Formats: sequence, structure tokens, C-alpha cells
Amino acid sequence: MRILAGASILAPAAGAGAHPLRSPVGVNRLRPPGAVDEKTFTGRCIRCGRCAEVCPYRAILPLDATDGVHAGTPLIQVDEIPCYLCMECVEVCPTGALQRIELAETRMGTAVINRHTCMAWTDDTLCRTCYSVCPLRDTAIHLTEFKPHVNPAACTGCGICAHACPVVGSDGSRPIVVDPAYDPLESAEAAP
Amino acid sequence: MIGRWRSASQTAAMLLLVITPILNYQGITFVQGWFQSLAVGRLWLVSPLEGLECILVSHSLYGPQIVGMLLPVLSASLLGTVFCSWICPVNTLQVWSDRLLSPWLRRRGEGWAVPRTLLWYVLAAELVLALVLGTPLFVFLSPPGLVGRELMMLVFFRTLAVEGLLLLVILGLNLITKRLFCRAFCPLRGLLALLGAKRRLIVARVEEAGPGGQHCDDVCPLGLAPSMGEGTSLHCWNCGRCVDACTDNGLKMVWRRADLQRHDPCLEKAPRVTQIGNMGGKR
Repeated sequence: MRILAGASILAPAAGAGAHPLRSPVGVNRLRPPGAVDEKTFTGRCIRCGRCAEVCPYRAILPLDATDGVHAGTPLIQVDEIPCYLCMECVEVCPTGALQRIELAETRMGTAVINRHTCMAWTDDTLCRTCYSVCPLRDTAIHLTEFKPHVNPAACTGCGICAHACPVVGSDGSRPIVVDPAYDPLESAEAAP
Repeated sequence: MIGRWRSASQTAAMLLLVITPILNYQGITFVQGWFQSLAVGRLWLVSPLEGLECILVSHSLYGPQIVGMLLPVLSASLLGTVFCSWICPVNTLQVWSDRLLSPWLRRRGEGWAVPRTLLWYVLAAELVLALVLGTPLFVFLSPPGLVGRELMMLVFFRTLAVEGLLLLVILGLNLITKRLFCRAFCPLRGLLALLGAKRRLIVARVEEAGPGGQHCDDVCPLGLAPSMGEGTSLHCWNCGRCVDACTDNGLKMVWRRADLQRHDPCLEKAPRVTQIGNMGGKR
């Protein structure tokens, strides 16, 4: 719940009612580039907001207390505004919650294609939007027989593909999403 | 005289918090952040308590963070809690609301009596709770940090974070007892006060000027009695209001030399401040 709901696109997807210690990271909800492991991220982040202030795309949003103890930590909702990998934010973090890394080393998550809903996979449509927009085209996403394939070893998880995909289901979901580098289910018992 | 400089410093600090996000929004990022971490060019400052929480909870040291904490720690050890009295935007908001509401606040002096030692317990409890939960808490609840964060949220996202309500609570408490939150509940002030235990900048009594008077002490926003030597106590935040108010020049803000600390005549005559029973401005 944000007091002034002026920016509707920024309404938190899993805000109110979330467990106060559970990580806000999830599908399409990622930490900025260079983030340390999610288990230590909240301990390292000082909530100074400088990564959000330096992001020229306003992709980094500081959370609020509806996300419990993660209030003030940065999150990128890639289906709203993806990360364009300008690598400005990793330069300003004063506590090392974001480590200085190169573009190609960034691992925010991995793009995953749902072959049951992707047009290129289901129809014989020649859609190659995700392939065209990928900053690591032919490395992270390549086309084989006109169908897109993600290479998890090279995907940065920037989410540009998940943002650009033209197929939007009735529930607002797209055939291509970004799975976070951190798996909340895997660490559910080791919360926070 | 000191008051004029203090007001200028407080206004400048507040302007910094307003202008920085506006410039950042335009892509001018020479100055960045707020009082959790302020960057001026390549000079990065990190708030000591938030930095300490991070170190304790993450069990790790990070060079730029340690270097960023050095300057604030050094300034607190030499100058005391001048951050609170000269810079902190939450104190400034309380000063401004005092001025705005002064006709209705005349009788406030008899507010809640909160023991000053609570400050140390709040600091300890805050750090222990952060360690128990395994997550830092002051980083997102820091009132001076919240002022900066809310201003940034407003400029960047046209929205506010819900935890900013804490600031309204603090301003409300200030209507009951002057600087109630600062006096007893701010863990950052607790840490800075401990760092400044042997500070060089103190408010000292001038012996030749006589005993000083009630009017010198009445203005103290923390309810201290500088005329009784409490200007050298852990709690004094060197705002200098008493120095300005003492019309007989009985109090001075002085730089004490380390070698004179034990033989300072101003300090010898001062009663040892162990338990301070002067709450809420009462004598």
C-alpha cells in the first residue's frame, strides 16, 4: 500500500500481507545487477537509494514497509521497466550489496520461455521479438528453426525480452518471464 | 550568534535533501543520496549506525563502507552529536514545527518524564534485535534517512513509503515533550553520543561570570542544565542555544585540549553527572 498511488505502474505486486521476513524477489521481481546472494542482500543494503537515483530508466524501485524488513531495498520489476544493463548502479553502492561487475557477467535471473504459449513455438508465426531485443543476441537467446531458445549460461536476466514480448495472456502474464537468480522456494526454510 | 549559523546549517542540510533528488532526476549525479550514504563526487559518507548494523548482520567488511564511516565517526568523536543538532532533518522539522506552533506550546515543559538512560537501552536493544532477526532495522527506520528517502520517492516515483508515518509520530511526540524521540529513543543519537564521550567541543561554564541562571537552561531542547555543567555530559548535543541565551556570557562553546581535560577549571567545579533528574525542563 503506497500512500500516494500516483504511479500506478509501480504498485507492488506482492506487497501487503507478505511475510515480513520473506524475500520480495520472485518471478520478474529481481535485484539490480551485481547483487550479492539474496540471503545476505538485505543485511548488506543500507537503503541509501543511490542505485535508484542513478538509474536513468527508473527501473530500480525502493520497496517500502509493506515488504517488511526489506523496506528500502531496490527491486526491478522487469515486466514494468526492465534493466537495460547500463551498469550505472553497480558503481555507486557504498556497502557492496551491489558488486561492480561487467555487463556480460550480470546474473539477475534467467529468462524462461513457455513453449505452450509462445507464438513462435505454438503457431508458425515468425515472431522473434525476444531474440531481436536481447542485448546478448545469439548468445543468450538464439533462434533454431525460427524458434527462440534461451541459453541459461549466458542470460543476464535483464528482462528486456519479458518486457517486449507482444503476447499477453488474460491474467497479464507473458510467455517469457525471468526466474530470479534467487529461488524463494528453495530458501523458504532458511528465511529471511 | 551561534543560532544564526545553526539555522543556516539546518536549512542548507534540508535544501540538500530536496535539491539532490531533483538534480539526480535530471541526470546530474555529482551529489547523491541522503544521510544513510551521501556521495559528493568520489567522497562517500556512510552513517555510522547503519554501517555498524550492516557489518554486524552480514559478518563482513567492505572497504568503501569502512572508509565512508570514518569521517562521521571522527566528527562525532571530536565534535559530539553535532549531526543531530546542526544537520539532522528530523530535528530541523521539529524546530520548524515548534516555531509554527509556538503559541500553543508554551506549557509543554511539563511533558513526559522519560529517563535519559533509555537512550543507551534503545541503542543496545536495536542492535540485539537486528542480530536476532538477522536483518538490519535502523537502515529502513532511521528517521533522518526516512526524510531523504521520502523526498526521493516523491521526486522520482510521485509516491511515499508507508514507514514515513514514523516521522509524523516523532513530530507528535515533540508536541508532548520537546525532542522526546531525540532525547530517549533515537539509537543513532545514542551511538553518536557514545562516540563523542571524550569530544573536544563542549559547552563550558565561565567561572568569572558567576553561577549562570535559569534562563540559560530553560532554552535547552534536551532539558539539560548547562549552567550546572551538563554541557559536558554525554547528552549535550552542542547546539549552542544555551550559549546564546546566557545573557551574562556564563557559557561558552570551547575546544578543550586533551592534556588539559583533567585540570580544566570549568570541569572541576561541575558536579558529576551520573543520574540526571531533570526531565522535561523541570528543575
